[in-house]
Amino acid sequence: MPIMNFDAVKIGDTLGPQEIYLSKDQVRTYARTCGMDVPRFTDDEGARKEGLPGMIAPGNLSLAMLSRLVTDWIGQSGARLARLGTTYRQPVQPDHTITLNGFVTHTEPAEKRVEIDVWIENEDAERLVIGTASIEFP
Amino acid sequence: MAVDYDPALIGRVFEVTDPVEVSAEDIGRFCVAIEETNPLYTDPAAAKKGPHGTIVAPPSYAVTFRNGRHFFTHVPRFGAAGFDAGKDVEFVMPIRPGDKITLSSHVKEIYEKTGRSGSMVFVVVRSTVQNQNREVVAHIDHRFMNRP
Repeated sequence: MPIMNFDAVKIGDTLGPQEIYLSKDQVRTYARTCGMDVPRFTDDEGARKEGLPGMIAPGNLSLAMLSRLVTDWIGQSGARLARLGTTYRQPVQPDHTITLNGFVTHTEPAEKRVEIDVWIENEDAERLVIGTASIEFP
Repeated sequence: MAVDYDPALIGRVFEVTDPVEVSAEDIGRFCVAIEETNPLYTDPAAAKKGPHGTIVAPPSYAVTFRNGRHFFTHVPRFGAAGFDAGKDVEFVMPIRPGDKITLSSHVKEIYEKTGRSGSMVFVVVRSTVQNQNREVVAHIDHRFMNRP
């Protein structure tokens, strides 16, 4: 893969789509690794007792997946993820396929900065998590 | 509905956590958990030739540090059901193996919003993530949504 540079980035460039089958085991592994070992993230029955449809993924895992989408795109270019904002609109449920997407919305030549919309959608193309990322190029 | 809280709590640091030391193994386990394969985070030899000269943690590792268990004695809750509504993270510098990380947190703002499903109160907690040299690693604005 060629090393990307700021001048090659255009508004409308896309990141992904990356399709991921999110398993319950992956959600449990994340929750346990990150000290979030609570029923809503590890156990369907426990999650239902909290009024949820079943186990859900922690918001931090959604943030991590979107962060990874951006750092994969940055690759070895030396650019850095400077900011990532996320909004969790609907729960991300495991045992479903989710898709990570990104879209370049703005480039700022004076600062060599790129703004990207990022989002996670479910099989029905509903945006469960939306966000924006700022990337600074060297 | 007027949101009732003590305005003095806005901006007042309510907690500085004890340092948590980060090992290369911790970063490795986190990379496994998020299925990270970027060699800058996973491969010591490749990372040595990279911009940091060593493995660093993926940026999103910064949000895994927790406030203390007395968090909700300092942060008001409005109603029984509370959810993580989102985060805004400014990544200042990478977290490296051997770093000792602390969080310093305050309530940044409290506001009410009415959506399709009714009234919601948002509490924004700002945590500053620092390493052992008191260098800022990240600023995290964490939005909690409460249903009164």
